[in-house]
Amino acid sequence: MNEKFSKAIRADEIAAGGMKAVEIEGNEIVICNSDGKYYALQRRCGHMNAPLDMGTLDGIYLTCPMHCAQFDITNGEALSDPVPSDLGKEVPSPIIGEYLQTIGMIMKHVHTESISTYVTKLESGWVLIKL
Amino acid sequence: MKKITVYTLSTCPWCRKTKNFFTERNIPFSYIDYDMTDETTQRRISQELDAAGATGFPYVKINDEVIVGYQPERYSNALGL
Amino acid sequence: MSQCKVNIESRKKSLHYFFEKVVGPLGFKFTPDEEIMNFLLEQEVILEGRHGIPFCPCQPLRNDRVRDMQIVCPCIPFHRKHFDEIKRCWCGLFVHKDVLDPDKLPQLPPKELNHE
Repeated sequence: MNEKFSKAIRADEIAAGGMKAVEIEGNEIVICNSDGKYYALQRRCGHMNAPLDMGTLDGIYLTCPMHCAQFDITNGEALSDPVPSDLGKEVPSPIIGEYLQTIGMIMKHVHTESISTYVTKLESGWVLIKL
Repeated sequence: MKKITVYTLSTCPWCRKTKNFFTERNIPFSYIDYDMTDETTQRRISQELDAAGATGFPYVKINDEVIVGYQPERYSNALGL
Repeated sequence: MSQCKVNIESRKKSLHYFFEKVVGPLGFKFTPDEEIMNFLLEQEVILEGRHGIPFCPCQPLRNDRVRDMQIVCPCIPFHRKHFDEIKRCWCGLFVHKDVLDPDKLPQLPPKELNHE
């Protein structure tokens, strides 16, 4: 069986604890370096598509910058829904209030899906991934 | 017969132990799970907690005596057990 | 609130990872009573499913943002004096690092403490 691995990025381009987005054959992928181990995942958050490489990586946990949904980078599992926003006691203007209500109503139906992962391997200083 | 009222949370293990303390001794008591009740009752309980300086559950009232936190020895003393 | 099918064990594991890093520098650790620890973490996952935030399973939500933020786990910084004195947090998920027998730590409210 011919396993096709594609070159994604040079391993030393991502420091431990860091992430970088790459595009390979039209696929948007984020490469994570978690304590020297490299993981490759779908770049787009399973909630609303935000670029996960702009979020934070802590251990094996990736937090999306947009609404803070969290993912396990070893298997792409969505661990939490986004954190809810709260205006506190501030009352929005009628137009904004109506807008927020409509958005809120639609957001109730937006799911946080788990994300795809890719098999990776290191070879000659490169991170390779299997598409 | 002393009147026993307990405010609890469905998510709190100490509240569970408190309820067990009374049921195991066949002592009748009433309870309200704060997180499961209606808004009006919640507000009332919240105000009562504030008045008593209580910041957490379980909240036990034995007649006029208020005991906050799981304190089986104090329950026994209050009931003369 | 919970729309993603949260795997409770996976979420518990991640909460454990994040919380440990926060409470350590405060002088606390997870309770050595594993049964209570697992139960409380599970309740927090349930609360996170309900409200979007892992609140303390043993303190009341007041419908007031400022007050409710003070019971987001780990809530130790907001109750430092109280918890340092009883060597545990209110729900008992965390205890002082030197505690070996958490059963011996009574759950006393601030009013009943020596400094009050």
